[in-house]
Amino acid sequence: MSLTGLYYGKPVELVKLFNTLKSRGYKVIGPKVVEGVIRLEELGSYEELASNVSDIQEPGRYRLVDGGKYFRHGPDSPKKMLYPPRLTLFRITKDYRIEVPEVEVPKIAFFALKPCDLAAIQVMDRVQGCLGDAYYNLVRRNLVIVVENCVEPGGTCFCATMGTGPIASKGFDVAFTRIRDDLVVFEAGSSLGVELLDELELEPLDEKLYREFIDVVRRAYSKARPIELPDKLPELLELTLDSDMYKEIAEKCLGCANCNMVCPTCFCFDVIDIPYYDGSAERVRVWDGCFSYNYAAVAGGHYRPDLWARYRHWFLHKFSYWVKQFGTYGCVGCGRCITWCPVGIDVRDTLRRAIKEAEKHG
Amino acid sequence: MVKLEYKLIPKIAVVEDVREETPNVRTFYLRVDDLGQEPLPGQFNELYIPGGGEVPISVSDIVEVNGRKLIAHTVRFIGSVTWMFSRLEKGSRIGIRGPYGKGWPIERLRGRDILLVAGGLGLAPLRPVIREVERNRGLYGRLIILYGARTPRDLLYRYEYHRYEDIPNTELLVTVDKATSSWRGHVGVVTKLIPLVELDVENTIALVCGPEIMMRFTVKELKKRGFKDNQIYLSLERRMKCGVGLCGHCQMGPYFVCKHGPVFPYWFIKKYFWVDQI
Repeated sequence: MSLTGLYYGKPVELVKLFNTLKSRGYKVIGPKVVEGVIRLEELGSYEELASNVSDIQEPGRYRLVDGGKYFRHGPDSPKKMLYPPRLTLFRITKDYRIEVPEVEVPKIAFFALKPCDLAAIQVMDRVQGCLGDAYYNLVRRNLVIVVENCVEPGGTCFCATMGTGPIASKGFDVAFTRIRDDLVVFEAGSSLGVELLDELELEPLDEKLYREFIDVVRRAYSKARPIELPDKLPELLELTLDSDMYKEIAEKCLGCANCNMVCPTCFCFDVIDIPYYDGSAERVRVWDGCFSYNYAAVAGGHYRPDLWARYRHWFLHKFSYWVKQFGTYGCVGCGRCITWCPVGIDVRDTLRRAIKEAEKHG
Repeated sequence: MVKLEYKLIPKIAVVEDVREETPNVRTFYLRVDDLGQEPLPGQFNELYIPGGGEVPISVSDIVEVNGRKLIAHTVRFIGSVTWMFSRLEKGSRIGIRGPYGKGWPIERLRGRDILLVAGGLGLAPLRPVIREVERNRGLYGRLIILYGARTPRDLLYRYEYHRYEDIPNTELLVTVDKATSSWRGHVGVVTKLIPLVELDVENTIALVCGPEIMMRFTVKELKKRGFKDNQIYLSLERRMKCGVGLCGHCQMGPYFVCKHGPVFPYWFIKKYFWVDQI
């Protein structure tokens, strides 16, 4: 929701916006080139923000090349900050005293976050809001989100299918769109966003610029590869529960759980015990994924020994079960699971195929 | 700096008594000072052995000793964590959190006949139902207990079967898959007992707990006898790591078994129950 409508300014206003966040004590996190990959990392200064690079993303392929204007999200998602891969829950001493460690809750501002990742935060809000993860909720409370709308969705993107992008519509503090090299469109989505824009020099969009903006938006939508989703998709997809299509698709699957790890909404975790020589132990929460062998293994059996069953569970969880559990899809169409799948399994193909298969049933 | 209030932090319980049930199954009676709510029949707790891990174990009894309530858990030593339970003795300490999940539909059982079908360790979560009927006999109709285990040695709680049979209007039928020479009872899987009992099907609710395969055959037998889908309740077993619907491991279709179950009405899960590796 836009509180201000659309304003525009020069790119230097972005630097000002960045510095305002810094001066307000935020740990500013945004896309940064680290070892040939766009990561989400803390940015010491605006100059550290990735620029003059572009990426090539295809099923099972990621390359960063010098030059060019547009890059998409890399493997990191906001999940990394809001729901850390590793978190100590407590320590237990030899005499059974439980010590809960004190943690520092960072004050985070995401800068130039993609709309799909903003949508992922909203999905996590539903999940963690329902489930009440203490750490998530503390970080989330202070979170500032500056979104960069995506004018050039990449080769594995399908946000338009999931209705999450390429232009953010709600849930941000500030959203900006680079419609030209020398012109940036801004809008505020919260009272804090208005406060932040208050520090900048901006002008309201005139009719000509508005048309230009809309053209950019339209082009972006067409590149975000919309797949038409039928009504009642979650129920429809369950008609494929007994389909052999999952066996065929999963023939390629390695069960590596990369898709789980890069997914901005996958929330499963394991809790492991780290025993120490002094007789104490630490309980640590770590990310887990439904593709890993141990996930559904129990003493004396396994609930999903075959990879196809794990693939089916993952797919139906994202597009069917999630809706029943949390009232929203578990997929935001970011395409990370496609890019980072070592064998390039494309969930868009699975989605198309499952819809076809299910409609055949009806 | 803040201390986070995680749901996953256990309380410390003391093992007050250990009872050997079978060579690799023991019941641990735990004293917990502040567990909170008293577990309802069919609910479970997460038991924690430091350095080992946590396991979800259903509550198999609540007993009162010297004015203090002890919560019983019957554990089979089968996995890496449960094996560590074999070292616990009177006075040992253990982590516990819970109780979790939806238990048996006690309210719905009022005034009706109750058919319990248990396989192996599946008798443990059903025992609190037997206790409830014993305590408030007038509130319920007939109680029929069908129980099967692999061998006579694997039968749980044999020392109290006479107590079950002493409950008025109660029948207990026990079977073993493989008999020994001294066994005088039924032989065969527990589902074979279902056609043997006289039932007023329309007025009966069936509660089922056991290995997944046993539950599938049980549902088939019950359907043969005319049970409707909403007269059958199943307690499912999954890998309930967190117990509070957080960690994802116990999902069966869209359900978190730990939170939406472990006890489900059959109609509710029917769609997923028969799907291979759901």
